[in-house]
Amino acid sequence: MSFPKDLKYTREHEWVRLESGKATIGVTGYALEQLGDVVHLELPKVGETFKAGSTFGTIESTKTVSDLYMPITGTVVAVNSAASKNLEGLAEDPYKGGWLLTIEYSKEDGELISAAEYETYIADEE
Amino acid sequence: MEDNLKTTPLYSLHKKLKAKTAGFGGWDMPISYEGVLAEHKQVRDVCGLFDVSHMGEVFVSGPDALKFLQYHTINDVSRLAIGNGQYNALPTPEAGFVDDLFIYRLGADLYLLCVNASNADKDFQWLLAHKSGYDVKLDNQSAQWSQIAVQGPKSQECLNAVLSTEDQTKVAALKFTDITSTQFFGQTGYTARTGYTGEWGYEIYLPNGVAEKVFADLLEKTPAKPIGLGARDTLRLESCYLLYGNDMDETVSPIEAGIAWAVRFDKGEFLGKSKMEAQKAGQIPARKMVAFKLEDQGIARHGMDIYQGDRKIGVVTSGSFLPTLDFAGGMALIEKDGGQLGDSFEIDVRGKRKVAKIVKRPLYSAQVK
Repeated sequence: MSFPKDLKYTREHEWVRLESGKATIGVTGYALEQLGDVVHLELPKVGETFKAGSTFGTIESTKTVSDLYMPITGTVVAVNSAASKNLEGLAEDPYKGGWLLTIEYSKEDGELISAAEYETYIADEE
Repeated sequence: MEDNLKTTPLYSLHKKLKAKTAGFGGWDMPISYEGVLAEHKQVRDVCGLFDVSHMGEVFVSGPDALKFLQYHTINDVSRLAIGNGQYNALPTPEAGFVDDLFIYRLGADLYLLCVNASNADKDFQWLLAHKSGYDVKLDNQSAQWSQIAVQGPKSQECLNAVLSTEDQTKVAALKFTDITSTQFFGQTGYTARTGYTGEWGYEIYLPNGVAEKVFADLLEKTPAKPIGLGARDTLRLESCYLLYGNDMDETVSPIEAGIAWAVRFDKGEFLGKSKMEAQKAGQIPARKMVAFKLEDQGIARHGMDIYQGDRKIGVVTSGSFLPTLDFAGGMALIEKDGGQLGDSFEIDVRGKRKVAKIVKRPLYSAQVK
């Protein structure tokens, strides 16, 4: 499994695209594969603020529920409502169509790792 | 991965089929192959094969076999003619469940008990501890038998692919919950018309040595596909079949668990009878099992608390997204006055109250007969 090099990652299996003060966040293809069929997604509303490392939502498969963790402190400016309606599509296109939300942030305060570091991390986890 | 998990004779085949496996009841079992939703649909629409070799097989025989089973179960075993089976349970003296199980009558004084994997050793020890005074032989053959469940509207024609013409005729004559001996690659096993999915189906008992050949043959020659325990759980939950350890255990009675139909007070004395009678008559408090449908977005899971306003009235025993019904729901054990069909209650889903409505049980009408 390969991970886009232009993205940052967290050890909680989120990916982050950083672009001039905005961060778009999703769940990695690896995590989606581990979860299996996603049957429910609970996301915050635009305007809500979260600290780095706090939970901002949940993702549920038929068997388990996992928390989603905010990679960096910020305020939600966009939520992908299409993702909640097309849950099967998440695993097919995790890094583009599968984005969950965009936040505005002022500084990169979370523990973000590179694609290579994330790859090593999940290899150790298995 | 948990240590010391047992594996079934089909384990290497599961790995070849790229199953995701996980610990269940002390066994490393396939959870899914292509995905829970696709597997669930495959069973409802066509046919699925489940490795249920982790289930336990205990043979009870001897002149007192019937007397022994009558006292230590809730259903009326005397109603079984040779070749019949029934859903039943082993009660505690306090009217809890030691386990739920299927009992088949194989001969005049010979019964096969099919018990839950996680309880197989406990059940056997329980029966052993209660056999004094009975002329009965207990034989735990769990380690020698494999079991494959063949479930779905096409299950009969799929199963026929591994049966002789003579056995096909025997299997065609089986009524729901009946059992007959059948040959598998020259070895004697059993075919029962039962299941845990709510679909027409069979559970076949195979000597370990032929299990992999039978499973592989069914995959190769029929439209049946392998199904993991993930879909097994969503299928059984739609049909509101109980799962030991989730829906009931030693602290829940058969009356509370919604299987009063299987409690035969008219059969004579049995363990836990007086308490179950008092529960049924309303002389002592008893909860009740209901099915629910979530009206809010979200999924309720096992162990989540249920409220009417500030009053806690019960707990979710099983909850999931239900693929055939396309909504989230499940089963809950609630106080007797906690609501009727059509009433609503609230479930605490990780700190958020979600509205759910009590609906008819089962959630999905079984297609077994």
